[in-house]
Amino acid sequence: MNNKTYQKYRVGIAIFTSVVVGIAVSRDNTILAIAGVVIGMAFMGVVRSKTKIELDERQKMVREKAAQVSYAIFAPTIGLGSLVLILLAPEGSYFMEAIGFVLAYLSLFFIALYAISHYFINRKFGGDGEE
Amino acid sequence: MPSRITLSTESSAAMAKNKLKVFRAINDLTQEALAEKVGVSRQTVIAIESNKYNPSLDLAFKLARLFDVAIEEIFFYEEEGEANGKA
Repeated sequence: MNNKTYQKYRVGIAIFTSVVVGIAVSRDNTILAIAGVVIGMAFMGVVRSKTKIELDERQKMVREKAAQVSYAIFAPTIGLGSLVLILLAPEGSYFMEAIGFVLAYLSLFFIALYAISHYFINRKFGGDGEE
Repeated sequence: MPSRITLSTESSAAMAKNKLKVFRAINDLTQEALAEKVGVSRQTVIAIESNKYNPSLDLAFKLARLFDVAIEEIFFYEEEGEANGKA
């Protein structure tokens, strides 16, 4: 299966899943919604396994830039968001504070993950100083 | 500490350009055919031809070998304001 066929299958599965989930929500049927999502994921897995997905260098670069921009936006947003929630939560509003702490830990985890992946990727591309 | 991180790969004063479209026409290849020969997508060939994307050295070598010319004949570096088409 080539990339174009894979894209067609992907769109088909996405439409199928969203229709099933839509019906499930309108009928208030949780089991149908879960089943729709699981079946969609299973179909997607099968289609993906049958496809040899090749990314060329420009597509890789696009992904890198997109990830870079996402990180640059997401990390400060959740970091500052957590700070705002913790500091400006009204007295006794433990729920907002708890969300603030969760976001704070999440942003720390995110930064740590970035630092670790940066370290290893830097080493892989000769940034360890070894000749 | 670096002053600023930029997402752009191009410098403002100079720019890498290419004559890929010319070589493709000389060799009577479509964008699709060229893309298939060097293992990239048609969008990548379009992006290179319109100077929106600078290929990797690997791809530049592949293109040069395909057209049986030196890399410098396809790709060249041009200062802003210089005449176009200078190899």
